[in-house]
Amino acid sequence: MIRLEKVTVAYGEQIVLEGIDLEVPTGKTMVILGESGSGKTTILKCVLGTLHPVSGRVLANDLEVGKLTDEELLRFRQRMGMVFQEGALFDSLTVGENVAFWLWEHTTLSDDKVEERVRMLLQFVGLESSIDQMPSDLSGGMRRRVAIARAMAAEDPAFMLYDEPTTGLDPFTSKSICDLMRRVQREFKSTNIVVTHDLTDAYRVGDLFTFIKDAKVIATGTRQEIEHSSDPFIQTFISLDS
Amino acid sequence: MPVRRALLFLTGVLVSVQDFTMMIVKSFRYLIFHFRMRESLFEMDRLGVGSIPIVFLANLFAGLDMALQFSVVMAPYGASNLLGRVVATSIIRDMGPVLASLVMSARVTAGITSELGMMATTQQIEALLVMGVDPVDRLIAPKILAGMVMLPALSVVGDLLGVLAGLMVAQLGAHVPAPLYWSGVRSALTLPNLVNGMLKPFVFGFILVAIGCFYGLRTTGGAQGVGRATTKAVVSAAIWILIANFMISKFLIDVWGWKL
Repeated sequence: MIRLEKVTVAYGEQIVLEGIDLEVPTGKTMVILGESGSGKTTILKCVLGTLHPVSGRVLANDLEVGKLTDEELLRFRQRMGMVFQEGALFDSLTVGENVAFWLWEHTTLSDDKVEERVRMLLQFVGLESSIDQMPSDLSGGMRRRVAIARAMAAEDPAFMLYDEPTTGLDPFTSKSICDLMRRVQREFKSTNIVVTHDLTDAYRVGDLFTFIKDAKVIATGTRQEIEHSSDPFIQTFISLDS
Repeated sequence: MPVRRALLFLTGVLVSVQDFTMMIVKSFRYLIFHFRMRESLFEMDRLGVGSIPIVFLANLFAGLDMALQFSVVMAPYGASNLLGRVVATSIIRDMGPVLASLVMSARVTAGITSELGMMATTQQIEALLVMGVDPVDRLIAPKILAGMVMLPALSVVGDLLGVLAGLMVAQLGAHVPAPLYWSGVRSALTLPNLVNGMLKPFVFGFILVAIGCFYGLRTTGGAQGVGRATTKAVVSAAIWILIANFMISKFLIDVWGWKL
């Protein structure tokens, strides 16, 4: 379970998130929606502990992220998978090495075992044949797939975070990435947060939905609850998307 | 308003000093408690071996030029017999390490800053953190070690090359016999000179890598930001190398006295 309690984040004098309350039950996917620059990605940074709120607290499985030391944070993140907007693959490493990276760093597996797991993960995302390619040789969709495989490299990722995983992709590739995210959730039963501004993709992957506007949560609920919201911003958002 | 601006500037400087210090302390902690042999050797090859041609070329021409200039200055006083000693002393104590560092800062500091800067702007540094890996451990500490090991090594060989180049000018231009030149060089190989010649590149190697890493990690703002950070890093490294050179010279002269 991931819980944010009255979280406020500010960059200097600019408030990015104000008194955010959010709860993602274990094994569920929460989609955070809102305009660009509304603070969606900042929520992910708070969960990861790369950004500390000025007030409030972030809990992940009852562990208060803000109270962890640097070493504890590094250990905590080992059970977390994060897929960045553009993939953030290490451009000096091959696809296979990118996926193997976590295993090299945190396990004592032999090279054969690492390769076996890397091939299994790349097969899962449908890219086993690209194992020796460099990230610069891949399309946007392929890079996201590799990023997902890399995020899954941890034996048992308890949390998966996705930052705009389908932005800039064509509709077919977007759908295939969403399907993949669903498969990942079924496979690992992880607790997921997905940040996006695409409602179609949000419905494909989400169990719960949260709308953010002007640094505040304006609505949280299931698809039905969101669709029946009387908030004009949400209604406009839904109507523009359809 | 000016007071507020000055306070903000001062705060910025203090935060930078704190961040830099933290980075260095963590790097040395990782080098002691979580040493990465593979990455360190890789960086030594990349930073050191890759810099051999430019460092050697710089030292070669520095040796040629110094021997030429000194021979012109010393000949009227009949002091050409001291040419070997003067050239070797200048190269070992100052020119060798400073020149090697400045040339390397153009290659190594710029390379490190742009590499790390690119990684920072494409979220690769953040990806490392998210995967439970401290970028200081994986990226910075091996580079700092490589700088501190490889610059002295390159500097020593570069010094030798500079002295040999000086011999060429001494023989062909100033007509100083080789044995006389070599006896001057031998007399320059004193403990104070050798300590100077080893300590300086060691410190400079640290400076040029640490500054490159520091600016690289803090890069923001895409390709333009990477360019800006790289320029700042190279300029800062060059200035700090010159400042450190003077401070080490002063310190060692205070320790050894005016002995050569």
